[in-house]
Amino acid sequence: MQLTAAQQDALVELLNIGFGRAAASLSQLTGHRVLLDVPQVSLHAIDEVGVALERTVHGHVASVHQIFTGPVGGDALLILDEAGAAILKELLTSEPALPLAIDASAREVITEVGNILLNACLGTFGNLLKVQVSFSVPHLSIENVAGLLESLMVSQQGIRYALIVHAAFRLRDTQVTGYLMIVLSVASLDRLIRAVEDWESAQR
Amino acid sequence: MAAAGRKHTLDAAAERWFEELDDRGVFMTDDRLIVRRWNRWLAAQTGRRAEEMVGRALLDLYPALVDRGVDRYYRDALAGEVRILSERFHKFLLPITRNFHGAGLTEMAQTARIEPLVHEGSIVGTITLIEDVTERVIAERELRNQITASEQARRLAEEASRLKDDFLATLSHEIRTPLNAVIGWTRILRTQPAIRSQAHALEVIERNAISQMRLVEDLLDMARIISGKLRLNIDAVPITDVAKAAVDVVAPAAAAKQITVEVLFDDGLPTVSGDADRLQQVVWNLLSNAVKFTESGGSVRLQIKSDHGKVRLSVRDSGQGISPEFLPYVFDRFRQADSSASRRHGGLGLGLALVRQIIELHGGTVGVESGGVRKGSTFWVSLPTVPAFGTEAAPAAVEPREPVTLKGVSVLIVEDENDARELLVAMLEDYGAEVRAVGSAAAALEALQGGRFSPDILVSDVGMPSTDGFALVREIRALPAEKLRRLPAIAVTAYANPEDRVRALVAGYQNHVPKPVDAGVLAVAIAQLIARPQPRNHA
Repeated sequence: MQLTAAQQDALVELLNIGFGRAAASLSQLTGHRVLLDVPQVSLHAIDEVGVALERTVHGHVASVHQIFTGPVGGDALLILDEAGAAILKELLTSEPALPLAIDASAREVITEVGNILLNACLGTFGNLLKVQVSFSVPHLSIENVAGLLESLMVSQQGIRYALIVHAAFRLRDTQVTGYLMIVLSVASLDRLIRAVEDWESAQR
Repeated sequence: MAAAGRKHTLDAAAERWFEELDDRGVFMTDDRLIVRRWNRWLAAQTGRRAEEMVGRALLDLYPALVDRGVDRYYRDALAGEVRILSERFHKFLLPITRNFHGAGLTEMAQTARIEPLVHEGSIVGTITLIEDVTERVIAERELRNQITASEQARRLAEEASRLKDDFLATLSHEIRTPLNAVIGWTRILRTQPAIRSQAHALEVIERNAISQMRLVEDLLDMARIISGKLRLNIDAVPITDVAKAAVDVVAPAAAAKQITVEVLFDDGLPTVSGDADRLQQVVWNLLSNAVKFTESGGSVRLQIKSDHGKVRLSVRDSGQGISPEFLPYVFDRFRQADSSASRRHGGLGLGLALVRQIIELHGGTVGVESGGVRKGSTFWVSLPTVPAFGTEAAPAAVEPREPVTLKGVSVLIVEDENDARELLVAMLEDYGAEVRAVGSAAAALEALQGGRFSPDILVSDVGMPSTDGFALVREIRALPAEKLRRLPAIAVTAYANPEDRVRALVAGYQNHVPKPVDAGVLAVAIAQLIARPQPRNHA
């Protein structure tokens, strides 16, 4: 399964609405101007995601994971490499980060950032699909990419796809790049893409 | 029991569990944000009981939630979202003061989570969980402070170690430079004894040896100051005499660079309280520094004036000045504005550090002003004065130097080091003395008791292996022969401070001459002792 250029453009446009909402919340929270750059989107079968991610993410990653349920369901994650997470926390809070494993405050900050971004993007999709999406409590974990993907595949049947969205946080002249990953069943993905196409044609 | 009854019992138990939950706050609202549940923890922490809260609107109870934008989180929850409130971004959800370890009242640090409550597919309200993370926040702050402090300590230690490395490099260079000249010219004199410029060669050797001696004296002074062993012989000092003596010392160096040294002294300056030798060292350091950093043809001005009950001495030069960045470090030890290998000026960077330390030991202050690079600089010291009731300070007593001779005086020299021993022998023979030299205390005792040599005076080194000079003189004073018990004795020592002098005198010496030995000083000391009545028996 692959996205057409038109589908990609429409998804990027929708995600930008969510990114804008999240950036505004973060700016308000931190008192610094936070920008979230125009995302790039790509679609991968879940078993190919590891290869795609490991090209750019090394070592341990901090991931904020929320399960969403409803007519459209799946997993949503914000993925940052450990150094990126520490830098982001320093930039947002103006205080030096300790290693994430011993810095509960940093873990909490990253969890809230993930919570804001994931809710904003999925909320945008929910509005589009005119469905109520319910979320689980966000959960932060620190592990390598393989471990992270394994936990996503456990107890899941059927082919699943992952939308990978580059998310570049820009604040105080520094950029921290992370990934937003939305994992969906074929049926949910199908439904999302059809809704995106409808929205796109309604825009014209 | 019927299913409905079981469920009822379970609900009641869950309700009680919720109410009694006492490690975190939990409250629920309906979909209009009217408070419906308020647990015991919240009642205890906020001082607001469930009876007062239930049935009232959350945002009326805590209007600040709206001001802080938190009402939006509740709207998000009513739209199905779960919201996390981190302590770092929000500090707290509900304002609660708590007494932390008796450290006064503090705002309780909190993290919170706001979730929708869903019943049969629709959102019927919200639930909020609040956790007290005050201890955690304090512990993290402590940890962060410790890390910052240890990093700062590491940086300071690295800086100190770097300065020491620089200093050692400078020291090696500064010690080698005069040695090169001494060794080079000595070899020339040995291989070409008939060289015409012999006088010049000797002059160069002497000048370099003196320069190295000053270097070593500076190092020793600094070592004494660092270990708190520098003692001052405080007296009423006429500062102008001290200053004039220092000017005389730098005059040749200034003349060589065509630098004029202007001297301006106020009339009727009060005497200061201090150590004349150390104060002369201070003035000499300031003046030679000024001469060193002033271009040929420049000028140096030494001024001394009364300044509100103190004496202020300043040295102004027209030299290269000091950059504002280096100015605060001018008096630090081991610091030089330019410690690079290509630097133009020699020196250890100890002179000004010594100046500050000595002046501070005198209860005075030092300072420097400079307009910047190439703008010249002015160094000043301010010294306390002596109250002026009749303490007309005696002018530094300089005895008229009569030619001294030691003709017919027999001297026993005890010195373990060959070169130093030979030097002492040569010096005293030069004055006409009959000299016998031995290398240890044991050899000295043997020579004295052997009876074949009966010296008029003993000149002994103090620092010697096995039996030192103190022990030697104590043994001599305990010998049976009265002539030996009363043998005049002079200690020669490198430990040139007042305690060593006292120690030498207590041990049984009549006088003390510091190393490096000045032949004239030693000869005068010997001549004075020989002429003096013999010491009383110590026994």
